[in-house]
Amino acid sequence: MKLNNFRSKLADDLEIPNNVVSDNFDMRIHGNKKVIIENHLGITVYENDLVGINTKEQTILIKGSKFKIEEINDYKVVVKGVVEEIKINSKE
Amino acid sequence: MIIFRLWNLIRGYVVINITNTNYEKVINLLQKNKINLWDIEKKEVGISFKISYDDYKKYYKLMKDTKIETVKKTGFAFKYKKIKLRKGFVAGIAIVVLCLFLFANLVWNIEVIGVDQTIAKEIKNVLNENNIKMPLTEGSLNEKHVETIIHKNFNNFKFVEAYVEGSKLIIFIKEKELESSVIKDNTPSSIISTKNAIINKAIVKNGQLVVRVGDVVYEGQTLVMGIVKNKNSEEFMMVPSEGTIYGKTYYNFELKEEKLKTFTNYTNDDKKIYYLKINDKKHKIIGDTEPFENYNYNERTIRFPVFSNLTNISFVSGKYYEEKSEDIKIDENTAHNNMKVKLYDELLKMCSNDSKILNTSLNFEEDDNYYYLNAQIEILEDIGETIKIFPTEAIDDDEVNEEIKED
Repeated sequence: MKLNNFRSKLADDLEIPNNVVSDNFDMRIHGNKKVIIENHLGITVYENDLVGINTKEQTILIKGSKFKIEEINDYKVVVKGVVEEIKINSKE
Repeated sequence: MIIFRLWNLIRGYVVINITNTNYEKVINLLQKNKINLWDIEKKEVGISFKISYDDYKKYYKLMKDTKIETVKKTGFAFKYKKIKLRKGFVAGIAIVVLCLFLFANLVWNIEVIGVDQTIAKEIKNVLNENNIKMPLTEGSLNEKHVETIIHKNFNNFKFVEAYVEGSKLIIFIKEKELESSVIKDNTPSSIISTKNAIINKAIVKNGQLVVRVGDVVYEGQTLVMGIVKNKNSEEFMMVPSEGTIYGKTYYNFELKEEKLKTFTNYTNDDKKIYYLKINDKKHKIIGDTEPFENYNYNERTIRFPVFSNLTNISFVSGKYYEEKSEDIKIDENTAHNNMKVKLYDELLKMCSNDSKILNTSLNFEEDDNYYYLNAQIEILEDIGETIKIFPTEAIDDDEVNEEIKED
């Protein structure tokens, strides 16, 4: 955990993309229609109104409705639907 | 995303249903095995998702263990499997396509344009003798070579062009025109003056000159007479007159040029208008009619190949270009030059091409509104024109004489 924080800080200082050196996830949101999460570790929950995604240090919970997983591979997951709330919980 | 879907459709994909309640684990398991999943949807019980046909084949055993249900197999990969079984049909299609391609690339016949049937046949025979036999592939046909063969074998062609159009070799020919020989006309004639002039020079080859150098002649006056006295007898005979009579002619011109001229220029502003044309009636769709005070309007009709012919409906696209009128003052030199050009243009229309200017007198004047040019040009030119003489019959003359005597 500490090492990851150090790598993240180093990436910030050196002005290089954070996800290149650290294990932090990268999340992009397109309006309230689409959420793209890179560097994930799998799905914890999948329901019509809730999607849970596991990352190395946090768990992401996306609440809303009409959820559909547009694409999933070992690198990224694309969740489509009406996003109402995104919650990031630390694992510790 | 469309490309991704299209690619999946080509290589084939499988729609799978999972009724297991632990479907999240199945997704994670498949994803850890590097299987790409897409379009994961929640069903009433379980989920459904799509995977590629390759992955499906590769991890078929793994999927069987997770108790999944294959719903649908889609894509070209599956169709290909069926096609593979119908070998004869596929081979037939391939042969048809190949034949079409081959035959479309062949030149089947020769069409000769510009000469009659006999020469066209001769040309075809000559080409046949030179190993240009139909059918031929387009690639092996050299149009320049065909033209050279025709030029070598036929001397009476002015222009030969060979080109391939569709499945035809078209040879376009223009024959040399026969030079028309000038037959000298022996009809008796005289030469008369076409203008009022002062005779300057007279060259007479045939006929009797009836004017002298320095004489003033008027339009229509006889210059060379076609009736000559026979040297051996007292009789007169009629001959065709031939000769050139040069005379000095004078032309007076009065021209004027405005000092202020209005020019119309285009501003860079334009506006478009679109109409729907149904049975020659135009209905406006977009744009304003006459958007500018001064404008130039252009329009073009857009017809759709089959639709417009069947329904007589077409679109009209028009464009208004704004114009601006501007008064420009013409300076003296420009006005003088313009008037000189006009003067010589008019003079050229009045005189023949071999005329010569002997003297020019130009007088420029001006008032508040106009520049004026008064000019007198002295020209040396051929003033003669040949006219036919129609001899009156001898009987008629006798009758006339008798009538006079009776009176």
